[in-house]
Amino acid sequence: MSKLDVEDFIQQNRAVADQVETYRGYWESEKHWEPRREFILRNIGDFDDEQLDQLLSLSMVWANNVFLGCRYSTELLDRVKEMAEGIVVEDAPVFKTRDEIMKKQQGR
Amino acid sequence: MGVPAFFRWLSRKYPSIIVHCVEEKGKECNGVRIPVDTTKPNPNEVEFDNLYLDMNGIIHPCTHPEDKPAPKNEDEMMVAIFEYIDRLYNIVRPRKVLYMAIDGVAPRAKMNQQRSRRFRASKEGVELTEEKQRIREEIIQRGGYLPPEEIKERFDSNCITPGTEFMDNLAQCLRYYVADRLSNDPGWKNVVVFLSDASVPGEGEHKIMDFIRRQRAQPNHDPNTHHCLCGADADLIMLGLATHEPNFTIIREEFKPNKPRPCALCGQMGHEIKDCQGVAREKKGQHDEFADTVPVSEQEFIFIRLCVLREYLARELTMASLPFPFDFERSVDDWVFMCFFVGNDFLPHLPSLEIREGAIDRLVNIYKDVVHKTGGYLTQNGFVNLERVEMIMQAVGVAEDNIFKKRKEDDENFKRRNKEKRRRLKAEQQGPAYLTTGQFAPHALGRRDRPDVVHNARHQAYDMRMQHNKDAAQSLKAMMKNGGNSSAGPSDSTESRGVKRKAEDSDSEPEPEDNVRLWEEGWKQRYYKTKFDVDAMDDVFRRKVVQSYVEGLCWVLRYYYQGCASWKWYFPFHYAPFASDFKDIKGMFTEFEKETKPFKPLEQLMGVFPAASGNFLPTTWRNLMSNPDSSIIDFYPDDFAIDLNGKKYAWQGVALLPFVDERRLRAALADVYPDLTPEEVKRNSLGSDLLFLSRSHPLFDFIHELYRTESHESTEIPAELCHGIQGAINLDDDPILPDKTVKSPIPMLRDISQNISIGVKFKDPQYADGFVFKAVLLPDAKIPSKVLKPGDWEKGNREPWRPQLGFNPNRQQAHLDQSGFRALGHSMNRNRGGGQYSSAPPPSNYHQGSYRPPHAGSHQPFQHSRQNSLLGAPPSFHQPQFPRQQQQQQYRGGGHGWDRAMQSQQSAYQQNMNRDRGGAGPGGYQQRYDQRRDDWHDRRDDRRDNRGPQHQGYSSGRGYPPPPPSRRYNWN
Repeated sequence: MSKLDVEDFIQQNRAVADQVETYRGYWESEKHWEPRREFILRNIGDFDDEQLDQLLSLSMVWANNVFLGCRYSTELLDRVKEMAEGIVVEDAPVFKTRDEIMKKQQGR
Repeated sequence: MGVPAFFRWLSRKYPSIIVHCVEEKGKECNGVRIPVDTTKPNPNEVEFDNLYLDMNGIIHPCTHPEDKPAPKNEDEMMVAIFEYIDRLYNIVRPRKVLYMAIDGVAPRAKMNQQRSRRFRASKEGVELTEEKQRIREEIIQRGGYLPPEEIKERFDSNCITPGTEFMDNLAQCLRYYVADRLSNDPGWKNVVVFLSDASVPGEGEHKIMDFIRRQRAQPNHDPNTHHCLCGADADLIMLGLATHEPNFTIIREEFKPNKPRPCALCGQMGHEIKDCQGVAREKKGQHDEFADTVPVSEQEFIFIRLCVLREYLARELTMASLPFPFDFERSVDDWVFMCFFVGNDFLPHLPSLEIREGAIDRLVNIYKDVVHKTGGYLTQNGFVNLERVEMIMQAVGVAEDNIFKKRKEDDENFKRRNKEKRRRLKAEQQGPAYLTTGQFAPHALGRRDRPDVVHNARHQAYDMRMQHNKDAAQSLKAMMKNGGNSSAGPSDSTESRGVKRKAEDSDSEPEPEDNVRLWEEGWKQRYYKTKFDVDAMDDVFRRKVVQSYVEGLCWVLRYYYQGCASWKWYFPFHYAPFASDFKDIKGMFTEFEKETKPFKPLEQLMGVFPAASGNFLPTTWRNLMSNPDSSIIDFYPDDFAIDLNGKKYAWQGVALLPFVDERRLRAALADVYPDLTPEEVKRNSLGSDLLFLSRSHPLFDFIHELYRTESHESTEIPAELCHGIQGAINLDDDPILPDKTVKSPIPMLRDISQNISIGVKFKDPQYADGFVFKAVLLPDAKIPSKVLKPGDWEKGNREPWRPQLGFNPNRQQAHLDQSGFRALGHSMNRNRGGGQYSSAPPPSNYHQGSYRPPHAGSHQPFQHSRQNSLLGAPPSFHQPQFPRQQQQQQYRGGGHGWDRAMQSQQSAYQQNMNRDRGGAGPGGYQQRYDQRRDDWHDRRDDRRDNRGPQHQGYSSGRGYPPPPPSRRYNWN
């Protein structure tokens, strides 16, 4: 699903798209929301309605990892990376996690 | 407030707000501890009515102290907390109310901060344990000795959060504590005790504020109640000012930087964990009797007098020729509001406003500039006028560019100075490059043992030369081995020098990279790009941030003045916008969502804990924090990014944690709610404030009667029975009742079999929806007497000013008695030589009144000493009487620093005496302690007789000070 496909999908599934739009966090910029929306739309078919929160959670895990620098267990990260395969994020920010900072400071 | 610098700034700028506490210590006699009698007048020479304890500031240091070994188990912690409260009670001695507030669930706005603290604490705890383990192994391998590993579990300070078992136990223990003191301590017998534990929503200090606000809005409130609030947070100062109560004092631990801490590994003082050598403990005292004493002084307390701060602020904020009438109370509110820009628990501070850079002064100046144009105040009763705030923000915005440039400049200068200083220190340490040795070695001058005659000088010189050559050869070799990278030094240090130079460079601190570079052109773009990952052109996003911040300012101010406006609102970003971005903010905020509800305790735990602290939660709840299939797993990252944001250490940086989606959290918890045990359900429910009092309190019978009649309706407290306090009381389900044994929750403490206290549920007075608490002085409030030196003092009064040191404007100075003077004279005698009286203490010490032999009765000499200093005498009066003065004159030459200091202290003292004479000063004390009046009269008469001696006494009367009998407050 490329960017164009996403737009096609939105055109064709107005209701779903509108619903997904309500999941946008207030703090999310266009740059952060669009990939996450894509993440949700790509995978929404694999989740039942009552599992939707789980999908949202996974989308946040992925977004937090990419845009906020959070680390989760490898199992979880592998899973969301697989689900996000093909989503293009240009110019993702770079972070130092707390562990990395501490390691560096200790090394001194 | 998360601004440690704020208090430091405040106490430096306004030093007179601080008064050191006088603490009476319990005595010990033959191993029996004699408690302090707190029914006695307060040794601080002030009487407090209400004492409020922000308990979290007590719980933390008592459960995981930084300057002494941690308590071994929970019971010891509880006892430590009891002792701490006892100490405070003894210092403050409240006469009406003791209010203990433990943090309950906080508004959502606080959750970001709580999360970040707890996620960090959890990581830090693990790191400390790991480091300990690593170093322990190292030391033991080297054959060092360490005390056996503690069996106790690491205390996870995260359990100090509402909803945990620990907090529940604490509440039980405090009930026991209160019942015990009410039953056994006479100092408590007329005091009403309120306990607001963690089951009552709201942060501790804000529950206290709510209590005060709601009491002072009802007609029975005594407007001259003297409040004393205990806690170290800087925002307590804001809260205190926000009450507009004239008598408000804060008590906190004195902050002493760089206090020694015991090593976490071996428990000894003097080194940090990473330098631990594993050396056997030294014996403390001859028979190791001081083994367990920590060689640091006990933490002392200070008072912060808000009425003095108000005096300072009045000076700073008062403006003439305003287009509207000046109202000091309103300007205080504006000041409080502006302090929020610099930092608070709910919003990140504006990047251009750093407290260390004088941000508040800058704001005040801008404020005074702008207020002429705004046509009014920024705030009223906790509601913000955004139009006017915008003008302030824009004025700050204009300066922003320069602030950032200046910051960089200062920073560079600071670094440069530091580097130079290090270099200088190093140079001093190194000493000369070459020293003669042996018989020619340099000797210090002035020592007893003179150097011997030089023997065999030639041989010695030869030796020295050869030694030198050997060194040089060695260092040459070493140099060649190392590739010749160091300059050849003549002596032994070539090699180490090469290393040293390197070290010098490396300790100039590795710079955290800063991509924002606020001091360079284009800073705004870079800031938004780096911090928010958005384009600077993205106006929509930027306005979103600004709008949230504006809402935040409104929320915070409302929170301080009216209580929590919305439990749901929070600032959904990690960074603040720039001041210059606050444009067209007028319409950005209208009202908060009404009828919002706080989280339940366990819900909040889920919101603020990392998965590593999941052990405080029921199994199925905990599972949601770690199971990859959990629908809220994104809240619990294992590791997170920290943006140092220009700071040096990880703990100062911004923790980039994801925000909690409340809807998803509640939905996920709905599934696991049925798994709660009845005990957990109880812990998760919202509790009530409790009120306790003892049998001797007038309200006791009333409450007792309610229990007897089992009246299950809510009943209003008759205000006349309870110091004018109002509120509704309800019977407690498991009450503390007189003559019912109160079981001790702590094995080492006894049950209270002779309980004479009673407890009920308490509810603050309720007000109609939309009621606005007025931020004004109450009609009958009396402003306490002024402490600061009036600006026109020199003009109007001839006497030098004497600063007031304590609460009491007429504080008595300490005096030596006769024997003291003899002892002093004895030891001073030696260096002086000369006449008999040259053994006098340093000239002009104590009271310069000339010497008068102590035969004039016990009262008199003392008085004269005072009078002389006070009123002085013409020389003609004095000299014949006290010929010794002539003799004393010789010591006068060149008034030394301390000498002059004594004078000024002395002269300031006069001022107080003058006040007495005018009958103005003493204020509350005199009214309360009438006995003293007689005393004043005596002295006043006396003074009149002696009116002469003033100037003499002051300028040249350096006579032998008479030994005044000690005279203290005689209040009882």
